[in-house]
Amino acid sequence: MEWANDKSKGGVLAHLERLETQMSRSCKNLEDPPRETAESDLGTKIHKLRCLRDKLRAEVKQRQARIKASTANAEPDQTLEISEQEAVGGKEENMKAILQAYRFTGLSGKRTSRGVCVCISTAFEGNLLDSYFVDLVIQKPLRIHHHSVPVFIPLEEISAKYLQTNIQHFLFCLCEYLNAYAGRKYQADQLQRDFAAFLAGPLQRNSLCNLLSFTYKVEPQGRSFPFCARLLYKDLTTTLPTDVTITYQGTDASSTSWEEQRASHENLFFTKPLHQVFTSFARNGER
Amino acid sequence: MDETVAEFIKRTILKIPMTEMMTILKAWDFLPENQLQTVNFRQRKESLVQDLVLLCESKRASLRDAALLDIIYTQFHRHQKVWDVFQMSKEPGEDVDLFDMERFKSSFEKILRRALKNVTVSFRDAEENAVWIRIAWGTQYRKPNQYKPVYVVYYSQTPYAFTSFCHLKSNTPLLSQALTVASNHHKIVKMDLRSRYLDSLKAIVFKQYNQLETKFKSDFHGGILAERKEPLRCLIKFSSPHLLEALKSLAPAGIADAPLSPLLTCIPNKGMNYFKIRDK
Repeated sequence: MEWANDKSKGGVLAHLERLETQMSRSCKNLEDPPRETAESDLGTKIHKLRCLRDKLRAEVKQRQARIKASTANAEPDQTLEISEQEAVGGKEENMKAILQAYRFTGLSGKRTSRGVCVCISTAFEGNLLDSYFVDLVIQKPLRIHHHSVPVFIPLEEISAKYLQTNIQHFLFCLCEYLNAYAGRKYQADQLQRDFAAFLAGPLQRNSLCNLLSFTYKVEPQGRSFPFCARLLYKDLTTTLPTDVTITYQGTDASSTSWEEQRASHENLFFTKPLHQVFTSFARNGER
Repeated sequence: MDETVAEFIKRTILKIPMTEMMTILKAWDFLPENQLQTVNFRQRKESLVQDLVLLCESKRASLRDAALLDIIYTQFHRHQKVWDVFQMSKEPGEDVDLFDMERFKSSFEKILRRALKNVTVSFRDAEENAVWIRIAWGTQYRKPNQYKPVYVVYYSQTPYAFTSFCHLKSNTPLLSQALTVASNHHKIVKMDLRSRYLDSLKAIVFKQYNQLETKFKSDFHGGILAERKEPLRCLIKFSSPHLLEALKSLAPAGIADAPLSPLLTCIPNKGMNYFKIRDK
């Protein structure tokens, strides 16, 4: 139904609301009860609410008793149901213990009506980075209700492997992937932000930050960009590359000093985080 | 400058609203700042466009430059297109995806060109490691039609690609093949998911949720809706940071009858918003 065409201010619903407030205001004006009666009104209200509360409490007790009674004479299937309930309760306790233990690895969680929401805080070299959450529903089977894990992290693979059998391992594995991704991303961002003077052109990267390609020089004042770097991170749980290829593009390729430099750079990229490599280039340049 | 290119640039610039003209031209970065400052942006649009096209001619704009301008215009007006979603998959147990954007682009273009000589392929890198691809299709005997291009938006190392609606359905298999092979996937399937809003599609397939609880908010402070005995008929407009979740919470909040129509609830779960309703 379209009320939008109504000419009066705000339409029919607003009009009805105005009538309602008018009515309640006129009621108030007619009977302005003296203080005492107002207090006794509140008193009656409190009494009514208390009675309602007691009634509901009694009902809850009755239902619990009924359940206990029915399970006492239960069929084998029904007892299985209860032990499943206990198993679920046990899982909750287990989860609580895991979360307490892993608090220091950036893992924390809070109870939800359905289960638990786990928060994974990533960090790299003492810098706190992004947080991700996984909302778990504690049922049989255990399932993920919501999450904020980026789509290129293999969450489905990890949960297929570990979620049902070993929650601990699932969380630990996911932590590993997310922390490693955050660390690689941090290095790439630092390189782009703080060492842009050493790079020719944009840093080529991808969503997982597991392939980086760039052309660089070792002195910000120098005019040529003699080195090409290609870094591959085939192990998604690490923040250092698994493959490093440095090529020299300069004109005097025959010079041995360039070859020495190239080889030493390769070693640096294998062993140190990106921004540290460039910090050392900068420091060497200052000498 | 080719007459067809000049015409193409002219028509593209004509589409740009005056309020966005400077922004889009700056994003294009083909006409330098100092040259743009010599142009009178207060004159009538037709004359402005003529001046700009003359500048482009003096700088010898190519089809490549014109296609890039078209991509930028479309990025600013992405809601004018209807976007479909394709889902790709890999064989299980494959190696880690070392996605190389430059290799993807050259592989993608190579596959198209091998099948079709007359095709214009252009790329523009976008935020979040994504790429916008513009494809103008031709035929064996005809040059590409620059006025009916297809756009593809692909986020690296994800299994989803967003494509703008294509009138020429015959080219879809080729496009699918190029996407699949270039991005190291094996299979591709079109999802029953379609929208003008790329961000919504992204949110659904990337399953991006933030942690805010979506509460039902009423402007009437519970006045008209509280303590009613009879149902109320009215038109309700829903807006929310996460609308589908808010709709789901209507039933538990006691405001709507449960269960909610599965047509609404299956949108995030199954990733579809396109339904074919048939007689039984």
